[in-house]
Amino acid sequence: MKRIALLVTILCFILWPLTALCTQVHSQPEGLYGHQLAHLFFIVSMIILVYWLRVMKLIRYKGWRYINYSALFFVLWNIDAMLVHFLDGTNGIFIVTHKGWEGTITISAQNKVEAVLYYMAKLDHVFCVPAIIFLYLGLRALTQQMGNDTALRGIQK
Amino acid sequence: MTLPVLPIWIVDLYGSVFMIIFSFLCIRQAKKLRANDPNNVVWIYLLWFSYGLAGFAISRSVGHIVKRVLITTGHNDIWLLLRPYSGSVNTIMFVIVSSITLFFERVWNIYQRIIADQKALQEAHNQLLYLNRHLEELVAERTRDLAISEKKYRRLFEMSRDMIAIVDADGIVLNMNPAGLELLGWKPEDVGEKSFRNCFYKPEQWQQVWGDLLKYGEVRDIECIFINTDSTQRNVLLSGYVEAQPGKTFYHFWVKDISRRKDMERKLIQADKLASLGQLAAGVAHEINNPLGIILGYTQLLLRQIPEISEAHEDLKVIEKHARNCKVIVEDLLKFARSAPTRKGRADIHSAIEEVTSVLRHQFALDNVVIEEEFDRTIPKMDWDMNKMKQVFMNLLINAKQSIQGNSGIIRVETKRHSNHIVIKVSDNGCGIPSEFLPKIFDPFFTTKPTGQGTGLGLSVSYGIVAEHGGTISVESEEGRGSVFIMTFPIKDGSGEK
Repeated sequence: MKRIALLVTILCFILWPLTALCTQVHSQPEGLYGHQLAHLFFIVSMIILVYWLRVMKLIRYKGWRYINYSALFFVLWNIDAMLVHFLDGTNGIFIVTHKGWEGTITISAQNKVEAVLYYMAKLDHVFCVPAIIFLYLGLRALTQQMGNDTALRGIQK
Repeated sequence: MTLPVLPIWIVDLYGSVFMIIFSFLCIRQAKKLRANDPNNVVWIYLLWFSYGLAGFAISRSVGHIVKRVLITTGHNDIWLLLRPYSGSVNTIMFVIVSSITLFFERVWNIYQRIIADQKALQEAHNQLLYLNRHLEELVAERTRDLAISEKKYRRLFEMSRDMIAIVDADGIVLNMNPAGLELLGWKPEDVGEKSFRNCFYKPEQWQQVWGDLLKYGEVRDIECIFINTDSTQRNVLLSGYVEAQPGKTFYHFWVKDISRRKDMERKLIQADKLASLGQLAAGVAHEINNPLGIILGYTQLLLRQIPEISEAHEDLKVIEKHARNCKVIVEDLLKFARSAPTRKGRADIHSAIEEVTSVLRHQFALDNVVIEEEFDRTIPKMDWDMNKMKQVFMNLLINAKQSIQGNSGIIRVETKRHSNHIVIKVSDNGCGIPSEFLPKIFDPFFTTKPTGQGTGLGLSVSYGIVAEHGGTISVESEEGRGSVFIMTFPIKDGSGEK
């Protein structure tokens, strides 16, 4: 009986929808804010990972040391990405024009420093590629030492 | 100022491709780790972390590549349509990777815990395996050790010169060592049947010991009197403690026989007392001896001058008689105090005994008192003051005779040689000495005889003479059964069959 009542209610909502006035309206900037907060969360989690790797003295071992570097590069990349997103949302500093492969960035005379910073920050792969390479190297080091002394990996059997 | 976008595009494109490639390489390495140890939670964590980063790299890099392609090919409108989805997926992947990362500390701790448990289990397993393989050897070894330990403590128990007893909660003796059985005169079969309270001469002492044990759990060095099966009393020092075991309580007792020590103490006190008395007596005797000599001298002078038939002569005779009595007493006192000079010479002690017995035998026979002799003729000649020794035997034999109150009696004189001393015993089957008099019998002027029959100096003088010869004299007596006077003299170097 209860199930039937629930089904009827759901059908009513689908067939005769009305404006849900009690629900909060999400405006456009929320997406950017959510994205920036996700970056911030990424930074925090990576800093915590670095903290524990140091507290547990795992950075004495090659594999974990590389993973530690990877986390630090991810922190830098996140800061870089947040800066770019921030400047992307700021008007009047520069104008980006797309013409096939030959686009340009025109910088206004008043905000030269910010614009150059933006240009450099746009090259964010300078941080995230080393980060993933270090992660790969760390995992590879742990794999290579699998047959050797387990203490080198900080893992006891 | 205008800057080209191309370098950014190139870095963006190549970087995105690298990101995708390396994220998959990371997954490959993480899978290798997990394949090596599939249950290792850290490797599982790293694999999930790699999956998360791969998802992030794909969502981001594909978005960037598609963006470049669409913008370059002039499909800006399509990119504007896809852009929110690309951004959202990217955001979600950030959150996923970050969330996975946060679990590192917890995963590591779980791993450490698992390792610790695993190690403990492995150790227990190894120990079990070892025990399983060597069980028989271990049991044999433990049994051997136990047997050695049992033997060691059994030997201590058996060889102890003090009594050791184990008693149950009802006071029944469960085990007692040979020294204990000997002390009490018990038979081995009495153990397990008799109560420990039977050892105590005074029941109140047992009650006190038992009460203290129950109250305090132990008792230490309590002086008690134990009673032997032949009614002999023994002074003992008792210690005990409670041994509580699951379901049973035992009481352990250590009992040290201190009768000999007590006896020695008594003798020491006696000797000390007699020595003090001797000094006093010697002092007094010396002081009295001189005036007594003068009194006797003047009395005898007057006796010569006054006619014998006069009343004064009779009075002077009485004075002379009592003065002589006093002189005898003073001389005896000096003998007791060993102040009188001695004349020792090498002699056989048996001749002194025989001389005295030959004098007394006939007289004693009139009263049906027989003197028996049992001499050990191996006793060598020694340095004796024969006159004084005769006096000792005379005193002892007369005392023995006086103690025989019935119609007949036996006085026995025995000599015996031991390795480094000789023992002379004078025993009788007379009335014996009450136990309360025993500590006083060698005291000067102590006598149980009616007034006028004894001065109380006989045994004191004997004591002094024996002591002068380096010996000791003691008495064992039981009222109604007789007394034994035991004299012990050391065989000094140089004594022999000369």
